[in-house]
Parts: sequence; C-alpha cells; structure tokens
Amino acid sequence: MSAAALLKSGWRAALLPVALVVVAQVAATVSHLESDSLASPFDIARAFVSVIADGSLLRATADTLKAAAVGCVLGVGGGSFLGIVLGLSRIADDALDLTIELLRPIPVVALIPVVMMLLGFGVEMEIVIIALGLLWPAVVLARAAVKEVEPRLMEVSNMLQLSFIARLTKIVLPAILPQLFMSLKLAAGYGLVVAVTVEITANPLGLGYGIMMAQQALRPAEMFAYLIWIGAIGWLVSAALNAAQRNFFPAFVKGEGR
Amino acid sequence: MALTQLSTRMQTGTRNSAPASDETRIRIRDVTLSYGNLQIIGGISLDVAAGETVCIIGPSGCGKTTLLRMLAGLAKPTSGSVELDGSMIAGPNRSVAIVFQDYGKALLPWRTAAGNVSLALEARGFPSAERPAIIRDLLEKIGLGRHADKYPAEMSGGMQQRLQIARCLAQEPKVLLMDEPFGALDAMTRQVLQDEVLGLVASTGATMVFVTHDLEEAIYLGDRIVCLQPNPGRVGRIVDVSLSRPRDQLLTREDPEFLRLRRELYDLIKDDHQ
Amino acid sequence: MRHLSLRKLLLGIGGLVLFILVWKLVTDAKLVSPIFFPGPERTYAALVKGLSGGALLQQTLQTIQRMLLGWLLASFVGILLGALVGISKRARAFIAPMLELLRPLPASAMIPVAIAFLGFSDHMVLVVIAFGALWPMLLATIHGFAAMEPRLYEVSQVLGLSRLEVIWKLALPSAMPMILASLRLGLTISLILAVVGEMLASREGLGQSILAASRSFRSPDLFAGIVILGAIGLVGSRLLSIAERRLLRWQATSR
Repeated sequence: MSAAALLKSGWRAALLPVALVVVAQVAATVSHLESDSLASPFDIARAFVSVIADGSLLRATADTLKAAAVGCVLGVGGGSFLGIVLGLSRIADDALDLTIELLRPIPVVALIPVVMMLLGFGVEMEIVIIALGLLWPAVVLARAAVKEVEPRLMEVSNMLQLSFIARLTKIVLPAILPQLFMSLKLAAGYGLVVAVTVEITANPLGLGYGIMMAQQALRPAEMFAYLIWIGAIGWLVSAALNAAQRNFFPAFVKGEGR
Repeated sequence: MALTQLSTRMQTGTRNSAPASDETRIRIRDVTLSYGNLQIIGGISLDVAAGETVCIIGPSGCGKTTLLRMLAGLAKPTSGSVELDGSMIAGPNRSVAIVFQDYGKALLPWRTAAGNVSLALEARGFPSAERPAIIRDLLEKIGLGRHADKYPAEMSGGMQQRLQIARCLAQEPKVLLMDEPFGALDAMTRQVLQDEVLGLVASTGATMVFVTHDLEEAIYLGDRIVCLQPNPGRVGRIVDVSLSRPRDQLLTREDPEFLRLRRELYDLIKDDHQ
Repeated sequence: MRHLSLRKLLLGIGGLVLFILVWKLVTDAKLVSPIFFPGPERTYAALVKGLSGGALLQQTLQTIQRMLLGWLLASFVGILLGALVGISKRARAFIAPMLELLRPLPASAMIPVAIAFLGFSDHMVLVVIAFGALWPMLLATIHGFAAMEPRLYEVSQVLGLSRLEVIWKLALPSAMPMILASLRLGLTISLILAVVGEMLASREGLGQSILAASRSFRSPDLFAGIVILGAIGLVGSRLLSIAERRLLRWQATSR
C-alpha cells in the first residue's frame, strides 16, 4: 500500500470517531448539558486530567494491571502445564476429559462469592479468580498444541529414549512455543476483562471500582474518563502483545491469518 | 508499441481467413490493458467464429488469463473493443460461461452438487418446480448422476471440475471460456475430461476459448491455436489445426500432423522462454 | 465428530468419581472449613431441596430467561448490522476501524454507564447482556462477509445474481461458520453478564442467589447455584454445537 493510500484509508477510519466527539460536544454546548449520566467530551477530558493529577487513576491502573498480570501468569502457567500433561498422556486425558468438560462451562463470575468467602476482599481474591478464569482456555489450547506436534518428532524422542523432562524441554516446549504465546495473548485480554468485572462486582480496588464509584457519586465526566481509559488500556495491551507476536513468531502469525 | 499493434493486426488479418463458420461470434480489436504503468496486454486483435474452438497458449505473464477475463466481462480493456455478436461486452453476461481453474474456490461448499447447478438456474429465474429435472439431466450428462447429493468437499478434484462445467452448461452459454480448467488434475482424469468437453461442445454447438499451458492439450482440443507472447501480451502466431474430428486420445495423438504441430509450437514457445 | 470409545467412557467416569472422592476427602478432613466449603453430599442435598421446592428453580428460570433474551437481542442486532456493514466495502472502511478500536473494551465496564442511564433495573441487566454479547457476533459477521471468496463474487457476476441473492445465497452461508462460532461465544458472555448483572442490581436470579448465600455463609446453597450455572453453560454450548454440526455438514469432510 502506498503512503497516499494509507493516508486515505486512515482518514476514513478516523472520520466516524472524530465526528462522534464533535457532535457530542456541540450537542452538549447547545443544550447546556447538566446531567447525572451524560457529560460533554470537554468535561470528560477535564475529569481525565484531574484524576491523573490526583494520582487515583494511575494507582487504580497499577492495581488492575498487577492483578491481571499475576492472575494471567498463574492461570496460563498452571493451565498450560496441565494441558501439556494431558496432551502427552492419553490415560490422563481420557480420565480427566469428562470432568474438565463439566467444570469448564461454569462461568468464572460464579466463583466470586466462593473466593470472596475464603479470602475476603483484596488483590489475592482477584488474582485467584482471574487465574481460575484463564485456567481452562489455557488447558484446552496447550493440550491441542501438544497433540498437533509432528508425530515424527515424538517418534524421534521415543527412539532416543529421552526422559519425560528431556522430552518436555527439548521437543514439546519448543514445538508449541508459538501456540503458548498465542494462549498468553488471548489470556491477557481476557484477564483484563475478568479483573474489571471482579472490581465492578465486588472488589473495592482498581479501575473497575473507580468507574463504579464515579457513577455512584454521580460524576458522569469522571465515569466516562475511566471508561475511555479502560478501553485504551485494553487496546494497548492487545496491540503490544500483537506486536510482540509478530516480532517473535512471524511465521505463526501468517498462518493464523489464513 | 504502435509497431507491435500493427504487426499483430496484420498477422491476425491473414490468419483469420479460415474460420469454422462465416458468423463471427467474438471480435477483439486492438485491445490493451494496463495497471498503472504496467502494460499487461499490448494490442491484441482476434476473431473467433461461432462454433469454433480456439486454444490460447503462451508463457506465464503473457496475459492469457486476463484476455479470457475480458471476454467474460470480469475485466475491462484500457483501450480497444471486445464484441460478442456485434455488441460490446460491457460486463458479465449469462450467455458467456467461464470455468475457473480453482474449482475449489468457485463452487459453493455449502451446497450439494445439485445445489451448485441449481444456482445457475436460480439466476436465470427458473421456477423451482422445473429445476430438478434439468439438474438431473445435466449431472447425468457430465457423469455426476450418482453424486447429486454430495458436497464439493466429498468429491475428488475431477468431480468438482465436472460440477463446475455442469453449472456453466446450466447457463446454456453461447460461449464457453475455460481458464486452464484441467491444470490441477492428474493426467488420466484430464484426458477423460478433454473428451467429455469436446463431446459437449460438439453437441451444444458452443464456441469455446480454452486457455492452457499444455501444448498437447491445445492441439488436441483446438481448431486454431493462438500463441501469445509476453511483456506486454500480444499475439505471436496463430496456428490452424487441421486434424480431423471426432478426435481420439490414441489415434489423434499419434497422427504425424499432431507431432508436427507439437514440434512447431514447441519451437515457438521455447523462444519466448529464453 | 469425536469417536466415543468404551475405554474413554469408563476412564472418564472413573475420573469424575475420583474427582468427587477427592472433593469429599478434602472436606471430610476439614482442610478447608466446612462453613466455606461444603462436601459433595451437602451440595447435592441443597441442589435437590432447592430444585424440588425451594427458590432455586425459579431463580434458574429467571437467569436462563435473562440470558436468552439478551443473547437473542444481540444475535439479531449483531448479525443484521454486521451484514449491512460487511456487504459494503465503503461502509467497512469507515466503520470497521472504530469497532476494532472498541472491541478490547471489557463489556462489564459498560455496567456503570448502563446503571447511570437505567438505574438498577431489569432493563439495565438486559442492555448490558445484549451489549456485551453483541460484539463477537457483529465482528464475526463483518469479517465473515468480508472474507467471502472473491472467486465466488465473480461467479455471481457471471451468473448475473442480484445483490440480494449475493447476500442471501453467497455471503451469508460463507460467513456462517464464523457467525455460529460467535453465537456460542455470545451465549457464554450472556450467561456471565446475566450473573454479574443480577449480583450488582439484586435482580432475582442465580447471581443474586449465590451472592446472598455467600454473605450468609450458606455454602451448600452457593455450591448448588454454581453447579446449576455450570449445567446451563454446558447445555447451552452443547445445543449450539449440535446446531453447528448440522448447519455446517458441508464442512465435515474437508476438516
């Protein structure tokens, strides 16, 4: 694509969001907006600056990201490990398949009351829920990845009589690394969603709590500032992970696109 | 470039004197096609008579597929004219059918064989009560009678290509365009399908323009063979095929005239590949 | 389709029995206080009691109704809007980038906004469910339409199909695999948001029920609710899988 064409398509992409903001501002100005649920773009921008200035936004962001990141590492790590074991051992897979199929559909938010009862409020409770929410997808992806490892490679490792550990570190892990990274990428996005959900529903910390409090205090400008910020964080996380994936596993990304 | 055009026209002018019938079905005049600065086709003129089978050969990049797409109305020439029965081809037209090489992409994977043929009839506005009988006849004719309820994914490549041909026949086209239709098939299937296509063309009286990269296929099928040259695409030579019809996979291919033509075309094409 | 062998079935049941045994052992040994963590028998008893005479059955129906209503709303709007945007290259160029920008926004973050407009009401919960489940279907339909094989578009031109016929006979079926997958994802999201909405807005349903159970330390009721929620999710996704296999019969052999 030439630079001119890129500029042309970029202009098209930007038109709608910019138009929306302008229309909202004009409408708010003309109607002298005074509302508990709406705010003009200008007020939202001002609220954004003030929550940055008093440090509350960044503190909340750090809390949410920390919980999401730790939960993500625990959930994807544990899930991938279980998935790899299931992928390598047919007996374990057959024995646990039914149980996993029954546990997997339980919506993760249903676990909020349980974990809340066990751990109370706080960052640990949130981390545990995020990890549990990311566990099953990671199990499924890792198991499928292991089963798709070239059978020749498995035969080679059998012929060489590699130990379980050697087979894992020398054959399986390198072979499924791209899929594991994809699993992590999906999990990061989902982890953020679960984190915000837990914070909105129950846990008094982080961005979800911040946006909920702004609404309860009837400060719509602050609420929308939080909302846009949460969207931006989500977008940045997914963009960063996509860029990392393109950088480290370019061939795999191409295959995924097909 | 003007020189190329001139020489092309002169050549086609002399060679077009012996069509299979006096009626001209397709008339291509001074056609060029460029994408930006890149000229794909640099002045082609060619007449195809009604009922004639013309094969187009040439090295890759000579614009043979592009020429075919212009006949189908899927591409527009930058300059020059393409006429069907005296009127300009402005866009796709149901009386012109095209068989694509990539049958896997050109068939509707969610419709059975019968459903795929039906699509052409639906487009022509046939009432649903009349369709099954026509579909059965067509599938029978093309040798898919027992596979009417199969999905494309359940069929071999040869069967899928038969199906695409059946769908084209359902258009009852005056002109059948073939874009390397058998290029992806094995040798045996290819020969069987060559004979079937010859039979169908003979029985329907359709005009056929057949693009191929296989010299023997071109000789076996064609009344005339147009050799295109690349960069930009233009007519190099037009060779008349005087082999008798109906043709036979063994006898025709052993005919001294067949071998002579193969030699002649081989020498022609070889020069372009250097 | 997965081959179901006897060996697999027996091992699977054995695994499930083992899982329940471990659960029982853990609770019997009081590794976790039974106030917080009931054993399988107490959970089962609460389940039976709740479903036979208690409020559990009513709450289950409420949650299912909420989930289905929101999901249907999202499916209808998502597929219709997706088809309108997806069929036109120009509409895609203008609208799709903004939708992609909004996609990573967690649906639950819209809950406070919905509360601001609709209060703690059933409507609010429904809007949140529909909004959250809308995205996967909208984007899948747009992508499915955009990813239609270009060769098929040429076929439609040669055959002279009308624009409506192209949408109905070519674009929609070719987008079908993506749309069906998104319907399943949408149902999962609907259930999650139904539970969250009920918890937050205290509307009658399983979400509110399990939250109340946990607050009053009725852990068997809490676990019974979770079991039912798992069952709803399982049945929903199984039904959609069956529908998927039927509608996508034509793919079966090529996969």
